[in-house]
Amino acid sequence: MFRKLLLAMIKEEWRMHTKTAKNQTFAYFPLLIGIGTFVFSLFIPYLLSILTTEQLFRYVHFIFVFFGVSVGAFGLFGKEIMNRRFGQISLLAYSSRALPVSEQKVFLAFFVKDIIYYLFLWIIPIFSGFLLASPFIGFSIGTSFIACGSLILSFLLGLSLVFFLSTVYAHSSILLLLLLVGSGVIVAVSTLVYSITLEFFLFPYSLYYSFSWIVLALLLAIITVSSLISVVFVNVEYSSKKKHYRNLLTPWSQRFGFSHYAFYMAKDFIDLKRSEGGLGKVIFSFLLPVFFTYLFLSVFIELIPGIESVMIFAIFLGIVSATIYNMLTEFDSFNPYLFLPVKVSTILRSKINSFLIINIFSVVVLAIAALTMDQIYYFIPALLLFISIAVFMLSVTVYLTGLHPAFLMYDSKVFIPYAGILCPVLFVATLGAIIYPLSMLASPLLLPFAWILFKKSFTKWDQWTPVSI
Amino acid sequence: MIDAISVQNCTKIFGDLTAVNNVSLTVPQGELFGLLGPNGSGKTTMIKMLTGQLKPTQGSIAVLGTDVLKEPIQTRKIVGIIPEQETPPSFLTAEEYLSFVCHIRNLKNPEERIDTWLHRFDFVDQKNTLCKDLSRGTRQKLMVAQAFLHEPQLAFIDEPLINLDPLIQRVFKDFLLDYVNQGNTIFFSTHVLEIAEEICTQIAVLDKGHLLHTGTIDEVKQSKQHLESFFIKLVKEQ
Repeated sequence: MFRKLLLAMIKEEWRMHTKTAKNQTFAYFPLLIGIGTFVFSLFIPYLLSILTTEQLFRYVHFIFVFFGVSVGAFGLFGKEIMNRRFGQISLLAYSSRALPVSEQKVFLAFFVKDIIYYLFLWIIPIFSGFLLASPFIGFSIGTSFIACGSLILSFLLGLSLVFFLSTVYAHSSILLLLLLVGSGVIVAVSTLVYSITLEFFLFPYSLYYSFSWIVLALLLAIITVSSLISVVFVNVEYSSKKKHYRNLLTPWSQRFGFSHYAFYMAKDFIDLKRSEGGLGKVIFSFLLPVFFTYLFLSVFIELIPGIESVMIFAIFLGIVSATIYNMLTEFDSFNPYLFLPVKVSTILRSKINSFLIINIFSVVVLAIAALTMDQIYYFIPALLLFISIAVFMLSVTVYLTGLHPAFLMYDSKVFIPYAGILCPVLFVATLGAIIYPLSMLASPLLLPFAWILFKKSFTKWDQWTPVSI
Repeated sequence: MIDAISVQNCTKIFGDLTAVNNVSLTVPQGELFGLLGPNGSGKTTMIKMLTGQLKPTQGSIAVLGTDVLKEPIQTRKIVGIIPEQETPPSFLTAEEYLSFVCHIRNLKNPEERIDTWLHRFDFVDQKNTLCKDLSRGTRQKLMVAQAFLHEPQLAFIDEPLINLDPLIQRVFKDFLLDYVNQGNTIFFSTHVLEIAEEICTQIAVLDKGHLLHTGTIDEVKQSKQHLESFFIKLVKEQ
């Protein structure tokens, strides 16, 4: 039964993606990732002129944990996000009441399916690209294979931990808070009292550099136990205890009275407030990645002399903040507007407005980071860099994916231009931020291009005929 | 007087499926027009094209004199639409949703309009409930209300009575009859023939994208047939 369910879910996932990304171009996505990684890997020797091999591998392990965290955060969103994303489609994952199978078994299949799906879509292509490039960059195939193994463990660690945390949150936000505070205290005591370095907690990385059966067993136990607990105590129905809500639309739209899109923006914020996961959405999809980035930069980049970590943080913050647009579109498909006199461009404009408002919060985060990193003197260039990166990335996303970023991004016809436009920009920005941080005062030069892209997006998406997903 | 709806040689092709095949149709104002057809006959596709939600592969459509292909937003401004499947946004309350629609349609006296519909369909006590927590029937009431808030001259209704209880069905049918008596037009799609026989003044039968018949309901009655036998005969002959 489990095998059949798993296979059916894999078929389901495939069909959803191939239907959205027309002409099976979704199937080329892993190939593109593989080619991209191969090309990127060829530049590793250049990276090693500013980083040590150890620093590079720490960085990559960190990215894989981060990737697992992003994927695992799905557990928090549950059914509602699927409904918004796929309209009225019924998914097997949410059919347990109609099937003679327990919710746990259905969700375990869904969890395994997600791991397989991400392995084939991202991880294996990345490893293939890296392994193919290894002989050209002086890495032995054996070492590269071991690195791939520990990177898979990094991904699974991030995924299972955040899945576990989101399951805890689904049952009790207080318990989650206690758990996070407790973990923070353990890490703080370990580092401050016992002088254990933070990288020790990046278990797969420790394993990669000095193999130990105990660390491996501990790591596998953490992954397995946290995954099992998540599956056993899974909660896909965030039952709302509250049955009646006071009218927020009118007062909130008055707050946004400065914008032409006040009512739409009020709706965006109501969606975020009342949708499943509540505050957890912000924690898991924004604050957690930002915190990981901050931690990483504080611990690792500061070791490299001459790099102003707040500038690099501004770039990361811009990238993470740009994904807030995905969150805004996850809970609001265009379907409920189809039968009303509303243009797609109206919804796009309102989402851009909401995006800008939410990102005031990111500016506060950046200011705190600049203060705590003791680099407040770089706040202005970092701020300009952050705004330019976030807005430019948003404009490219809006132009290429309209109101469906989470899905259309997997269409290779969309992903190639997306990566083709953004990679050079991010590369130049990173280089500029490292070599001469004040040069980033010129980063707002990106904004006129963003403006043009927004304009073109409105025309493009108003011509679009909605397809039922 | 201009026709409420005028369709000329309209075709819609999805890949290898011709959902609507060369349909021409005219609906005068003041009619309660029923588009009948079996499941998958192309009724919903037809309504989506008539309301500018889908572009036809070929053909032309005018609604109350507006070219739907050129002005889809203007079309949706002047008509009301009750879609077959769409549900109101999950996280707005019933009242907030109607208020949101009033804002989109730039209507005066929104509170008064909303109140009228909450009372007409007897769901005042659920006005502060999130749309996702409403029963299917109440959601359907909400979809009906949003379509008539701006009192359009023409409304498109796709299978509207399925989720409504018999009491509300009666209220809604009486509302539709009264609405049409005031000179407005209703374009009604259904496969429930009893409803069509009871309230429609004109009908068209669509099957596999082909228009098989158009005429008045009186013509059917005069032929001493029930709509059901008339319909089955038409579709089977196809």
